[in-house]
Amino acid sequence: MKNIVEVKNFKMVFGDKTIVKDLSFEVRKGEIFGLLGANGSGKTTTIRALLGLYTPTSGELLIDGKKYDPEDAEVIVGYLPEERGLYRKENVIDTMVYFGELKGVENPYEWSMKYLKRVGLEDKAKERVEKLSGGQQQKIQLGITIMNNPKLLILDEPTKGFDPMNRRLLMEIIDEQHKKGCAIIMITHYMDEVEKLCDRALLLKDGAARAYGEISKIKKEFKNKSLDQIFIDIYGENENA
Amino acid sequence: MRSATLKVARFEIMRQLKKPAFWAATLLIPLLIGGIYLISFISSQSVEQNPTIDENTKIAITDAAGILPIDAPYVIDGDKEIGKEMVKNGEVDLYFYIPADFAESKKAEFYHISEGLDIFNNDGNILKGILLQNATERVSVLDGLALTGGYEIVDNKMDKNGEAVNPLGKAIIPFAFGIVFFMFIALCGNRFLLNVVEEKENRISELILTSVSSKHLIVGKIIALLVLGVVQILALVVPVLILAFINRDNPMISMVMSTIEFDPVTIILSLLLFMVSVIFYAGTCTFVGSLVSTAKDASSFIGPAIIAMVFPLYFMQMFMVAEPNMAVQIMTYFPFSAPIALMLRSGFGTISVAELCVGILVVAVSAAIVIRLAVTSFQKNAINFSIAKPKFLKK
Repeated sequence: MKNIVEVKNFKMVFGDKTIVKDLSFEVRKGEIFGLLGANGSGKTTTIRALLGLYTPTSGELLIDGKKYDPEDAEVIVGYLPEERGLYRKENVIDTMVYFGELKGVENPYEWSMKYLKRVGLEDKAKERVEKLSGGQQQKIQLGITIMNNPKLLILDEPTKGFDPMNRRLLMEIIDEQHKKGCAIIMITHYMDEVEKLCDRALLLKDGAARAYGEISKIKKEFKNKSLDQIFIDIYGENENA
Repeated sequence: MRSATLKVARFEIMRQLKKPAFWAATLLIPLLIGGIYLISFISSQSVEQNPTIDENTKIAITDAAGILPIDAPYVIDGDKEIGKEMVKNGEVDLYFYIPADFAESKKAEFYHISEGLDIFNNDGNILKGILLQNATERVSVLDGLALTGGYEIVDNKMDKNGEAVNPLGKAIIPFAFGIVFFMFIALCGNRFLLNVVEEKENRISELILTSVSSKHLIVGKIIALLVLGVVQILALVVPVLILAFINRDNPMISMVMSTIEFDPVTIILSLLLFMVSVIFYAGTCTFVGSLVSTAKDASSFIGPAIIAMVFPLYFMQMFMVAEPNMAVQIMTYFPFSAPIALMLRSGFGTISVAELCVGILVVAVSAAIVIRLAVTSFQKNAINFSIAKPKFLKK
């Protein structure tokens, strides 16, 4: 199977509001996939449904041919959600070790200390999470996300709140994971990141796909405009009409 | 590999045990008990229960009732005013006035110079000693016993078949479990609610639910909270048992110990009822916690949750009757009131073993249902960060 993610005719309705309308797309193994769209376009809802956090109204969302189960040792997913949070009163190392154990990491303590050293937080291992800055907490979350060598990494606005230096560090880590063969779904508003990193992308508007495929093809379809311009054109349609 | 449930339970137990606040809350009550015991112990050392008459203490008694012989020591030939004057002048330290209507009023008066708050002064009992001594010297031993009431009436209860029964002895074990259950509700309820809300408040639900299933998370949390509850209860019960052991010669404690009936069936059923009750209570609190989004919302539920559980206590008298009325029957099998209702009826001996087993089964099934509901509800509501209250609460 060449696809790690398969979404077929996915529809999500909350009350009388349709958030996602009949959406279908695939993410191939080992690729970096951009999931794009303005706030409220249905990106996070799609990911939550893919990970079983929401029950879809209709359609099928599969990872490696199966519905996602966090305890399935064969389908390893790392997810950095948009909602950033950790156990604030716990110390950094205990939190990381706990997640490491849940994710089945062999030596979670050793892995965590090595990671903390790499991201410059070795001295914060025994600190309470609440004492860390937002950016430092985000690094901890990223560590938790990648600690079990995922086959699929889903990053919801990963660079939000990062300074340029930490953004570069994050990009390095993403690149490393990619080189290991991990497929990456990146939800972002930074089109330069998409152009630089992504192989393919899906642009959502009001829960429906407006552009989908290889970055070069999307650009060709929109008269070789930049992704930034394509985004503005699609979201400006209603205003211009 | 340990199951995910145990990993969650271990994490939750360890993080609570590491918190000073947990130990402060756990040890506060035993420390208070110890403190009260220490004060009463020191007091009992410093205050004689039956004070003897110090040879330097000057005593005077006016016996208007004529209860004492004319030549009895301390008796003076003067009225109350003279006696009070003697105290004022320092001629005597203690003055007792036995009025003429002592037999009817059963009151004697005691005059002495106050020495501050004087709450432990029991010099008044000196008169009792004098009266007792004089009475027993004048009459036979039997009359003396009758006169002083210094005897015990041994209660021999029988059932309809004439067999000896011990209702108090049978009641102690079910009631002891009832008290422990009550303590469990009071000590652990808030923690049960807040523990489930924590993931939502810290916005960690997505991260945790993509690492472990909601079933293992909730069950692991419940196991951890039950273990922590047991730690708190033990911290409370063990010192009480140690104090009881140290004071095993105390008449009250030895009376209780000799009265308890260690019936294996009662012990097993009481233990089973206690276990399913705490699991049901933990499941209920977890379910409520899974519905709300903030600690503030959760804490407003703790009151009603406790009231629902302790409701039967308000109607305790109804549970003493051998033939239960409809209200008692409903409370016995309604899951929320069943734990305390069953413990009360078991203690009062107004429920059969078969009925008790049915009641335990009802609570056990209800516990399984609320835990299932808590798992489903947590999965559904876990990422509704923006929703402060579920719809029914908003209405």
